[in-house]
Amino acid sequence: MTTSLLPSTEPATTPERRSARTRRSDAPAGTAARDALTIAGVWALLIVVTALVRPDFLSSQTLLAVTFTASITGILAVAQSLIVISGGLLDLSLPVSLVLSAFMTVTAVTAGAPTIVAIVVGIVTGAAWGSLNGLIVVFGKLNPIIVTLATGFGGLALMLLVFKSAQIPSGSELRQFGLGRFLGLPNIFWPMIAIIVLAGLALAYTRWGRRLVAVGGNAQAAKARGIPLRRTRLSIFIGAGAVAGLAGVLFSTVNPSFTPNAGAGFQLIVIAAVILAGVSLSGGKGNLLVLLLSVGFLATIPTSIAFFGLAPAWAMVFQGALLVIAVGIDGYRMKRSAR
Amino acid sequence: MTTATASVFQDGPSSTRSRILESLKGPVGSIGVTLAATIVIGLVWAGPNFLSPSNIQIVGVSVAIPLIVAVMASFALLAGVVDLSIGSMVGFGAVIFNQLVAAGLNPWLVAGITVVVGAVVGLVNALVIVRFGAEPLAVTLGMLTLLRGLCQVIVVSAPPSTLIEPLYDVTQGAVLGVPTLLLIGIGLTFIAAGFVSKTRGGRKIQAVGGDPRAAARAGISVAKVRVLALVASGVGAAVGGILYVGQLGSASNLLGTGLEFQIYAALMIGGYSITRGGVGNPIGGLFGLLVVAGITNILNINFFDPDYLDLIVAGILIIAVLVDRLRGGDSFE
Repeated sequence: MTTSLLPSTEPATTPERRSARTRRSDAPAGTAARDALTIAGVWALLIVVTALVRPDFLSSQTLLAVTFTASITGILAVAQSLIVISGGLLDLSLPVSLVLSAFMTVTAVTAGAPTIVAIVVGIVTGAAWGSLNGLIVVFGKLNPIIVTLATGFGGLALMLLVFKSAQIPSGSELRQFGLGRFLGLPNIFWPMIAIIVLAGLALAYTRWGRRLVAVGGNAQAAKARGIPLRRTRLSIFIGAGAVAGLAGVLFSTVNPSFTPNAGAGFQLIVIAAVILAGVSLSGGKGNLLVLLLSVGFLATIPTSIAFFGLAPAWAMVFQGALLVIAVGIDGYRMKRSAR
Repeated sequence: MTTATASVFQDGPSSTRSRILESLKGPVGSIGVTLAATIVIGLVWAGPNFLSPSNIQIVGVSVAIPLIVAVMASFALLAGVVDLSIGSMVGFGAVIFNQLVAAGLNPWLVAGITVVVGAVVGLVNALVIVRFGAEPLAVTLGMLTLLRGLCQVIVVSAPPSTLIEPLYDVTQGAVLGVPTLLLIGIGLTFIAAGFVSKTRGGRKIQAVGGDPRAAARAGISVAKVRVLALVASGVGAAVGGILYVGQLGSASNLLGTGLEFQIYAALMIGGYSITRGGVGNPIGGLFGLLVVAGITNILNINFFDPDYLDLIVAGILIIAVLVDRLRGGDSFE
């Protein structure tokens, strides 16, 4: 059911090729299903173990905390996934996209702009930041990891020069939205779900999405098939930037005040979520439904840690260890399938 | 300044001239030019005091420990496996050393333990990267978080202060006006440079980083070289942590945060690449660190906001990788 909604984002294979290489073309869908089951299993285990130790873990408060944590991480993870699936390796400047967009949104609201204008300002800021990265990568023909490493710490420095702390007016519509709930869950949770579904559909059913996957799978083959590499890559950076910009808008609604450094904490958990979801760093492969599961799982860890009575820093230890283990398993699997 | 040197030889034998031009085009040459430019800018902007002994001492002290960590980490870069966990490992090494010494253990024993911990961290990275074939960036990013988390678990409030006499003498001492630690760092750089370019072991590392398959066909054990390189990187970071405790007299749970970015930016400016191995020389790395430290110093002298430094370094980094690509480095399409 769900797999038909968000199919694995492998390049479409023609019926003839499918019959000729049945095993190969079925493998990715199988991998995604296995990834989904594994993550869901470990997640359930975490919940059960925590609930056995602390029965009060199973409460609406926990649900609120987990969905709240998952919201912004989830949207940023979609932005990161778009970059990774397209073969762009990693965008290390996402924390800047997030905070810069949040800052611009707050600035617009403070200046008295209508809510919708403030939202657009935030999203456009993210897209503009993405296009800056994209232009350097595409026209300099430079490795995106190095470019975004540089723009990441350069951008942070720029923000530190521009503002020390920003806060959204407490009476504004956006702030009220950030405080509100819908169907018992935080308001900001629902845009995250919408973005995951929309991005999943876009990857599978739009020309842009199919090109993105094709370029990530094999850039030279995509070029030979007439896909303009530069334009596609630039559009991916802009698209991912816009998604990160939306995350920034939501970020500004839930944080009464934030500093330029506020995005740093998202960097690793977002990358961990993407890799844990089986989105391969070599590009061309990834399923956003699995991403939702891995975001949910990682978002549960801090709450579980708190219920176990451990210091919050333990969440970092576990998330780091999980990332090491996950990429180890992923690498081992790739090594075996290559054999 | 350097172009003037080249024009002096204009009437001389053309081979000499072309050799000088060639060396200027090389990675170490272009970073040398950048360093010379930094010094000239420093002299113009900050005045002749820029090269005064006291100012050189300030720059030298600030650059010494990152240099030692960077030289050891550069082996991993050269072998084609970037180790992002060094910043956290410096912090973790410093925290273990500081806490155990404060608990009353023998400093020498604790130093040994810290170095072993660094080696074990390097081995774990190597196990996942080499044995399971995982992406080095992702693995060491995970290790970075894990170790930083452990630092924060171990040190919750204010860390204890320690004063270890022999270590203090090394980290604060000077020989003929030059900081001892800087001399050690530069000595290590030259040893590493000689090892990389003159010995069989060094050429093996370059071969593994440049083209692992070709190296494997030539009978080099790619796995062994990479494991050793990652262990060297971990040990270097642990030693860096110990030295920081000597210099600062304590170790907070934030020590070393972001150090990996500063070090890799400097190494990339100096001709290394974090995405492909086999290129770069420790001397280039030293120049890269000196350029960054020199810019920091110029900004400090002129009372600039230190945030400008990251902005400038980011710009130089992008130009450096662009120059590297134009020189024939990997292009990304």
